[in-house]
Amino acid sequence: MRADGASEERAAAVSPRPAIDHVRKPQILEAAAAVIIERGLTATRISDVAERAGTSPAAVLYWFETRERLLTAALIADEEDFAERVGERLDRAATATEKLRLLIEATAAESRIDLWVELWARSLHDPVAARDRLRRDDQWRGLLAEVISAGRAAGEFDASVDPDRAALSLAALMDGLSVQATLEDPGLTEEAMASILLDHAEAVVGSSLRIGPAMAGAA
Amino acid sequence: MSPDDPTPAAEQDPPAATRILEAACELIAAEGIEEVRIARVAQRAGASTSLVHHYFSTREDLLEQALVHSFEQAGDERFGDGDGAGGGDAARGGSALDALAAAIRESLPYPGRQEREWVLWVELWIRAVREPGLRPVAARMYERYRTWMTGLITAGVESGELGADVDVEGAAELAVALLDGAGVRAMLGDPGMDVDDARRLVAAQLAGALGIDPGRLEG
Repeated sequence: MRADGASEERAAAVSPRPAIDHVRKPQILEAAAAVIIERGLTATRISDVAERAGTSPAAVLYWFETRERLLTAALIADEEDFAERVGERLDRAATATEKLRLLIEATAAESRIDLWVELWARSLHDPVAARDRLRRDDQWRGLLAEVISAGRAAGEFDASVDPDRAALSLAALMDGLSVQATLEDPGLTEEAMASILLDHAEAVVGSSLRIGPAMAGAA
Repeated sequence: MSPDDPTPAAEQDPPAATRILEAACELIAAEGIEEVRIARVAQRAGASTSLVHHYFSTREDLLEQALVHSFEQAGDERFGDGDGAGGGDAARGGSALDALAAAIRESLPYPGRQEREWVLWVELWIRAVREPGLRPVAARMYERYRTWMTGLITAGVESGELGADVDVEGAAELAVALLDGAGVRAMLGDPGMDVDDARRLVAAQLAGALGIDPGRLEG
């Protein structure tokens, strides 16, 4: 939501309800994520989110007009949180090989995708949700493709690798495995998931990702 | 109906209960699970609402039984009743790789019945994420799915079409996770991946893992 921060400030400035200015949006989004994961979007009431966030329904409605907007915003906040935590380590990683391995290990470490599954189900019947899903997916695929492209340019990865195709297949595998992890398939541990993803990524980029400094340790 | 169908009422009067479950599945697929009302299910099944209530105590009960019914039935048809050893074509003297290519095609959301099954599949994901009671249903389906794939790949090793050193379990897991991750994109109308793209992606990646020509599974 960083992108539209300016318009929010404007909205707050002209709001007839300045009393709720102090309500922290991240708090509401965190509460929304928790309630949606627990009950599902349809059973989520604005008042439940307000109660969990320790605020009023009016404050929630001030920021989010509908439950659907709340779902998308909670998902975006969750991803930005992930991107922020991983981004810092990503910047420190010297090579594309390390970066790709970092993204894979972080995905395996935080494999629950409750909110995503909710957005998928909504996307089946709701074009707005489908657009939101696509936008988020494009960003994630774009990040993977960027790293793969850098690795190809640096000669770390096979010169013939197609970054977009490679990113798509890696993202698809991540989603498929994450569904099983979210459903708590006992056979799929974090280590197993990371290993399957690394094997696949190595095959796709034509280079070993298991060399170089250890990146282990969750965010 | 599978022998372990969890609907006790269905044992007394399979046709009516089954008709109701199938009507519910059709409505879930067409409109989304949240839109399904008992009255519409009854109307579509040619039953009275009191008959629906006779078999299914609540709307939730009906919806869950409908999802279970859909998967048990699809599973019986696709994976076989027994251990899901698969190998159809190969067992009849055909090519094991052709059977594997056909399995990939059958597992993606092609328009018609397969697309309908996919909608229900995603609805099952979302409900099982929220309701631990449904997870055994999902886990059972994944187990059968993997067993089916394992059987098909094993048939290829036995027929000599695949190398003896193939990691059968690993390749089966790759196939299942990629089919989920690519299939969900195709089903949601991702402009970057229609259902044929999804099939080619899964075929190429699985062929790579099996050490065969990438085009061999596109059949």
